[in-house]
Amino acid sequence: MKVRRDLKIIPDPYTGNEYVVVPPVIPEVAIIHAMRGSRDGEVITLASRNDRLLAMAAKRTIAVVEELVVPEEVLAGRQEIFVAAAHIDAVVLAPGGAHPTGCPGRYETDAAHMREYLEAAKNEDDFRVYLDKYIFRPADHDEYLAAVSFRKTAAGSGRAGR
Amino acid sequence: MRGDDKPNVTPMPRPAEKIIGAIAGLLRDGERVATGTLSPLPAAATLLAKMTHAPNLEPLIYGDPELRLAEGFHELFALAQQGKIDVFFLSGVQIDRTGNINLSVLGAYDRPTVRLPGGAGSSMLSALARRIILFTVNHNPRLFVPRVDFINATATDNVPWRRGGISHVVTPLGIMAFSAAEKALVLEAVYAGVSLEEVIHNTGFDLGVAGRDIPAINPLRDYDLELLRGPVRARMLEIYPRFAADLWGP
Repeated sequence: MKVRRDLKIIPDPYTGNEYVVVPPVIPEVAIIHAMRGSRDGEVITLASRNDRLLAMAAKRTIAVVEELVVPEEVLAGRQEIFVAAAHIDAVVLAPGGAHPTGCPGRYETDAAHMREYLEAAKNEDDFRVYLDKYIFRPADHDEYLAAVSFRKTAAGSGRAGR
Repeated sequence: MRGDDKPNVTPMPRPAEKIIGAIAGLLRDGERVATGTLSPLPAAATLLAKMTHAPNLEPLIYGDPELRLAEGFHELFALAQQGKIDVFFLSGVQIDRTGNINLSVLGAYDRPTVRLPGGAGSSMLSALARRIILFTVNHNPRLFVPRVDFINATATDNVPWRRGGISHVVTPLGIMAFSAAEKALVLEAVYAGVSLEEVIHNTGFDLGVAGRDIPAINPLRDYDLELLRGPVRARMLEIYPRFAADLWGP
């Protein structure tokens, strides 16, 4: 309450306990990363994450998919869950689209690129150079992947970002 | 053979292995033990305990490919809220004598010297898990401070729905216990080879040692290091591959 004016205290009408409550988080847009999806908007995300919950909370959701498949192939594997099309407003096909973070089972976090980003983020001039090289100059996703020398590593069961 | 003359020479544990052993020794058979993100030491300890004195322990190691979930952290939080998590682990960039942990900022909240990732559910978990074990990879006066700059979670308080609280803190030097009488952390044991002076010197608050005999313990008890470096390592390579490779080799 001292640092967040939007946190309030209310009495629980059932127990009389006082609780601190927070306003609901309702993103205008959510962007989630999905393993695969179809043109219908059904996608498959990781069961260890909360991307489906995020899609249900947001007003609009864009799903970036590694693979575009026919509807019959939108099936959840052992560590995956299904997200209904009603929650997804757009599907973007971008293999390697999680870069520089990883995508479990497909590629690891690009630690070298992360270090480069952190160095560049220390001042405006270096960051401008970073943005020009990786964000403004590549004309499309493939040119971005080439600019970052993206290589799919044999990730196995590697966890992204851990 | 290891190439030495005495087949009974005990291999030396590495610092991280001592922390793992100390945590494992605090876990009880039959408990449902959950570990969250960035928690390789508790994860390894959970596996070690289950393979030894706690065969009925139920591990919920977030990030473990053998753990099947459907709703990620939402699910783990729901289990904690229902009272179905017996042990959870937390850490802090600062920990103070009354067991408060700081995961948010160093310095003033509106102008921090360092902005940290934040509490990440710790305030809820610290109250609703049945008990919390804090673990740290350092032991110095910048970590163990008289008073944290910001409180993300408390060791205990008066909220009516609090189910548990901190039971212990495991550091590279020894183990603290939370004293309900003192409502504070007190030193319970040091690891063999660590002096009481070293622990006191590296802790920014009173550890309550006056008038008490603090035992020196072997944090690895009778755990077999080969178990840790064999089967536990194999499982950890699946869950925390970089950590396991760094500690035990790929």
